[in-house]
Parts: sequence; C-alpha cells; structure tokens
Amino acid sequence: MTTVTERSGGAAVAPQGDILLGVRDLRRYFPIREGALQRVVGHVKAVDGVSFDLRRGQTLGLVGESGCGKTTLGRCVSGLSEPTGGGVYFDLTAERAAQLDRLLAVPEAERTDAQRAELDALGTAHRVDLLTRQAWRRFRRNTQVVFQDSFSSLNPRQLVRDIVGRPLRVHREASGSALRERVVELLDQVGLGRQHLNRYPHQFSGGQRQRISIARALALDPELVVLDEPTSALDVSVQAQILNLLHLLQQEHGLTYLFITHDLSVVRHMADRIVVMYVGRVAEAGPTEQLFASPAHPYTRALLQASPDLFDDSTGFRGLEGTVPDPARPPAGCRFHTRCPLVTADCGWEVDDVVRWLEEEPGMFDELAGVERGSAFDAALTFGSDDAARRLVAALRSDAVPQAMRDALERADVTGARVDVAFRPVDEVELTRRGPDHHAACVLEDLPPV
Amino acid sequence: MTPPRAPAADVIATVTDLRVHFRAKGGTVHAVDGVSFDIRDGETLGLVGETGCGKSVTARSFLRLVPMPPGIAAGGSIMFGPERVDLTTADDRTLRRIRGDRIAMIFQDPAKALNPALTVRDQIAEVFSEHRVPDVLARAGIGPATADGWLLRRRAARRARLPERFALALPPLRSRSAAIDRALDDMIADALAETQIPNPRKVMDRYPHELSGGMRQRVMISQALACNPALLIADEPTTALDVTVQARIIELIRDLQQRHDTAVLYISHDLSLVRWVCDRVAVMYAGRIVEAGPTAQVLADPQHPYTRGLLAAVPSATHRRGELVAIEGTVPELIDPPPSCRFAGRCAHAAPACRRRDPILAPVADGHEVACFLHHPPDDADADDLPTADWVAR
Repeated sequence: MTTVTERSGGAAVAPQGDILLGVRDLRRYFPIREGALQRVVGHVKAVDGVSFDLRRGQTLGLVGESGCGKTTLGRCVSGLSEPTGGGVYFDLTAERAAQLDRLLAVPEAERTDAQRAELDALGTAHRVDLLTRQAWRRFRRNTQVVFQDSFSSLNPRQLVRDIVGRPLRVHREASGSALRERVVELLDQVGLGRQHLNRYPHQFSGGQRQRISIARALALDPELVVLDEPTSALDVSVQAQILNLLHLLQQEHGLTYLFITHDLSVVRHMADRIVVMYVGRVAEAGPTEQLFASPAHPYTRALLQASPDLFDDSTGFRGLEGTVPDPARPPAGCRFHTRCPLVTADCGWEVDDVVRWLEEEPGMFDELAGVERGSAFDAALTFGSDDAARRLVAALRSDAVPQAMRDALERADVTGARVDVAFRPVDEVELTRRGPDHHAACVLEDLPPV
Repeated sequence: MTPPRAPAADVIATVTDLRVHFRAKGGTVHAVDGVSFDIRDGETLGLVGETGCGKSVTARSFLRLVPMPPGIAAGGSIMFGPERVDLTTADDRTLRRIRGDRIAMIFQDPAKALNPALTVRDQIAEVFSEHRVPDVLARAGIGPATADGWLLRRRAARRARLPERFALALPPLRSRSAAIDRALDDMIADALAETQIPNPRKVMDRYPHELSGGMRQRVMISQALACNPALLIADEPTTALDVTVQARIIELIRDLQQRHDTAVLYISHDLSLVRWVCDRVAVMYAGRIVEAGPTAQVLADPQHPYTRGLLAAVPSATHRRGELVAIEGTVPELIDPPPSCRFAGRCAHAAPACRRRDPILAPVADGHEVACFLHHPPDDADADDLPTADWVAR
C-alpha cells in the first residue's frame, strides 16, 4: 500500500502551494419561467454556495449523482457559464488567497470602502467573470475542457488537423507547416499518428475520439484541464488506456485536473482530493484515501456502499431510498435528510416533508386544498375534509413517519379541516472540520459503524 | 456444453451454436458467431463483454427482436422451456404467446422502451390484456360461461370495436364492464406495488416523462414481471441510472427473482456489478464466448487472457496511478473474419496457432470453460506454434 501513503502525503504537503483555482461561495441559478410573459417564478439552484481550492499539480475529483450540479460547476470553473453569485478565482498565490478569504469573511454590508476597492482589484486580476480582456485571454488559454460525449464535442465536419489545430490558430500560436507539425506532435502525445490528420471524427472509435479531445485540450499547454466524465462512455479496457494517458500527461506537463465523474472507482484511482456534491452543495470534501476509509457524511457512505467493488467486500452493496430532491426547492437544513438512513431531529424537518408524505400516501394528496406557509418550518394545511386532517395528525404522531421527524415536530393542531404544523427551525448545515483538510456538512460528529 | 452440476438443475433455455450475422457494405458482419450456453431454472446468468461483442444481439435473439434484414439468422437454435420450443424458428403465434408471458425483457433505457404516449396504466394493461384475460375476468367476478362472455372477453383483451364499446357502455353490460376495469386496475396496482413503487394508484395515471429514471425502470420491471415469466432478460438495466438507484434496482430484481424463482439472463459490461448479481457468468468477445463458469471462480481465477485483461483494467485501490493494465488495441472488425482466435490481435500470448484456427470452449475445471489454446492445444500442432503463459501449467 505504498500508493496510499504517497498520495495522502502529497495532499498534506500541498496546502502551502499556489491555489490555481479558488472557488468561493459559487452559485449558479437557472430561472424557471412561466406564463405568456415568461415571468420568473423560481430558480433551479444547480450550484448553491460551493467553495473549494484546487492546488497546482493536484487532481480534484468531483463526485455526485446526476443532477447534483457537478457539470454546471465544471462549466462555471471553465468560464463557459456565468456564475449567479460568488466567484471562481484563478491563479492565486498563497498570500492573495489569504487576503481574499480575509476580505470575504467580512459580510458584504459591513465592508469599508478600502476593503471594497481591495476586493475589486483582486476580482479584476483573478475572478473569472471580472477579468480584464488580457487576463481573460490568459485564463482561457490555461483552462481547457474535455467533455463526456466526444460525438457532440468534436465538429463532425472538421478534419482532425483542424480540430486539434484550431486553438493554436485562434491564439495565433502557429500557422502553415509549423501548425501541422505541432498537431502531429500533439497527436503523437495522445497515441495517434500522422496518418490520422486528414480524417473526420466519425472514422474513429470512442476511445480514439476522446484522445482527439485530449489533444485539443493540450494544444495550448494549459495549466488546468476540466475533465467532465471523460471515460464514462468508454469500455473498461479503453478507459484504462485513457486514464493511464491522462496520468502520463499530468506528469509530463504538470497539469492540474478537475475530474468530474460519478464513478467512484475511477475517482479513487485518479484524484488526490475529492469533493462530494449533493443537490448543489458540498456534502464532504477531503483527501481521497481518508474519504474512502472513513467517510464523515452519510451520503458519502451511501455512495460507497452503492458502488460495487471488484475485489473488496467490506463496503457491501446497498442502495439508497428515494430520489434526489428538486433543486428548485432544496430541502431545509441538511439537504440529504429526506433520504438519510441516520437522520436525526436536527437535520431540518420541514413542511415539505409533510407534503412529500402526503404525496406518497394513497388518497391523501388529493384531499390537500392549500398550504399557507409561515416559513419553511411552519404552515397551515387545509384539507377537503375534517377526516383527512385528523388522519394527517394521527399519522404525524405514529410510526407512519420517522421517529426523527416526530421528535422535530413542535406542533400539529387540528381545527376542523385545517392543520397547523410547526417543526423546530434549523439553519442550513455548514461544513465543519473533520481532520486535516477534511470537511463534512453533517450534524453528526461521528458516524456510527456500519 | 456445460457438464451439469450435481444435483442437476433443470435447464430453462439452451442456446446451441447461435449465429446472427448482419449484411453490411463491406461484407457480412459476424456479430454473433457460434454462441452456446444454458440457462438453468432460477439462476442468474451474466453475459459480459465490451461494446460490440454481440451480447445484446444474443439476448434479443431470444425474442426475435433483431430486425431481419439487415440481420441474418445464420444458424443455431434456442430451445426454450420444458416443451423445447425453438425460438429461432417458432411461428409468430407461438412467439407472441411467449413474449411478455414466459420470457420478458427489460431494456437499458426505460425512457425509450416505454411508450411516451401511453400512461403507465395502459402500458401494463397491455400485458394483462394479451396474456391474462381469464384472470382479469375471474378477478372481476365474471364466470367463463356467461352468454355475453365474448363481449366481456373482448373488453378485457381491450380489443372491443366501436359498436361493441357502445354495447358495453350500456346496461346490462355496463356494471360488469366497469368491474373489468376495476379488476385490471387492481392487477396493475399489484404489479406496481411488487416493485415497491409508493402510491401505485397515483403512478398509474402518469406518463413516462413525468417519472424519474429509477421510477421508470421500476415501471418497466413491473411490466416485465407482471405475468411471472420463467425467464427474464435484462439488457444493461441499470447503465443509465445513478449508483444509488442502481443498487436499489439490483436488490429489487434479486428479491423478485428469488420470490418467483425466475431465471435471469443479465447483460452487462460492468464486471464489479456482475460479481454481485450473477451465479454464473459468460464472457463474450467479438461474437463468441471466451470463458464461462461460476462467477466467483471466473473472477477469482480467470483463465482466458481477455478475461484477465478486463479484470486488470478495472481501477482499484491496489493499482498505482498510471499503471492500470489496459488491453492495447481495439475490437477487430467482424466482417467475414478468418478462422482464428478473435482475441489474437490484442493478446500478449498470441502464437502462430492462434492466428490459424479457432479455439473452442472446453472445460478446465468443474463447470468452468475456456476457449483458448493455452489450455487446450490442438493435438496436431507443433509445440513452437503454441502460446504459453506463466499462469498455465503445461
């Protein structure tokens, strides 16, 4: 197990290094429009307050189920999508990062003019959506993306020489025969040859197309490569080739990777650190081996248990109840409380949990006439009949709902067809420290053993 | 063929030398080229392999879902059930009776496999109307010997024409017609509840696009298992799903399989999943089975170079980064292949004999078979022509 010590050793040394990518309270909301006037009625909160650092030369794995916002985050990081709030900071020195964190720690309303000016200066120099033209060009050169689907990310009407040579031409790096030689060199690096120059993408297999994508990403010798599920469309034997290639290129060029994937065995193999996302927020972040050996968030543990391992039986094989909640109405408190097997009374039980229960109970949801919300935690529910109201209150006090939910229930009073429910209000669960460089957003200090 | 284990389990289906070819521009593609295996009662047989190895075509041949042309049934047979019906030659009537009733299939992408224009109720009702009309009538409390029974039977089979529907909507048939609807609804709700769908009566009125991926897959499973089939063919049923949902669906299939004693042909490219799901596994490469045997044994002690390569390519904690053992090269073109081991072009042990003739599947241990000259050298070959490997004793 020499790899383990080497890897975690590397991660422990890294905090002194430069932060190539600092993500601070990043938010990306998509408006939901309705009606003839296309009025905005709500927002899908795809990324909702994510912060992490990516140090030079490291590989950060970003994992989560589909719809958790990992691809949107990747698009914000690579400058393909404008953040709604917060920011992505590129190429910070350790001092600049400390300065930034000090400034951001002050609430916006309390900042002095001097602090604002300082923050603006930092922003135009480093924040991806505020960069000056010149700095923007530098950022775009140094940040490249490899997408999941090589069919749609390679132009079917262009020859390989044009696809791989295009970044070089856009940035006026090379032209004519020099361009061609550079393209051949790039193709050679990814295991393709001169004979492939004048072919179209459809003439290649999936693995070869992904190699072309990688060659294109490397054309400008970038510092950061965002890999958005680069191998999930490939067979294992080809996946192994691509993962080896990515590692080799990282060694040769000193690349930094943001590796987005849902495959835990791949991320365990490739990443130094892992960020686990759930419904737009970070559930847990930490060094790879530590996260795998002792997950501190029940969601991380659930992911590990649901991923079968080829040789290791220790995690077992178990699924998770329920579905990912709607990111337009994320659950209060801990976002995972609707599915968590270790849920407690402090996890953020709210009115929506009652509504969810009504939806699953035969006949009850049709009886529901209206919900008047005071806040996320208290509301008055009106039913079509007194009987339905009484059934709800009876259920809220019985085994029909989880014990933790009953514990969090402060009030459930029935007056005719109206039920007043109130739960103990809870703040959003923040990330807390669990070890060196290891954070998790869970109310439990330690998870009970499996 | 596989020597049966003692005590011999009954075999539900026997595939013998199945060949399915496709006509293509440059010649004939041998997509499935001489595949033989058994599926035993109540077991789960895994068919694993990479893209294009012919596993889906093999599975689809069971229900004759391969379009012909461009497909060509080039030979072989699939004998099914105690009466040994040959599915490759059975007439359409027989096949129609078997499809959905005794052999059911679930597909990779439920969004494509379910009809977007029908509600969940209508999709599942189709199965009962096709195969379970007497049960529907019995459940509605209608005896078989009623004088106007033919009308009600047509109602239950959902085949009533417009004038017949008029008659059914009027007394005296109206109440019994409504009873049939209620009985159908009950049966559909039961089928959905089997797959642990919460509040099935509500889900029944939904269209597939209103459901999540996991829910759609459950609907498809309830549809497939509605008639309690003897054989379930699952073609990568969880590939489109998240891991947490995948695990739930696998648990569900296993649970239902054990309760109903259904045999499952499980197709997957994911070896780590197969390890948890299948009793036996057959590894396919380029249209052939290269290795077959009990899952634990094949994964712990793989004998074919391809199986070994596949297992080594899966990233795990024991691999150092950048040192995954990839299988170099790609799957060969299957257009009119010459007689040779299909894997010879990528095999580290390939020898002249491998390029000249076909290895055949032969046992290396109890129930464990391999098609490789490493284990079964042809009698008349020179020793110099034969492959060697350090893990095989000669």
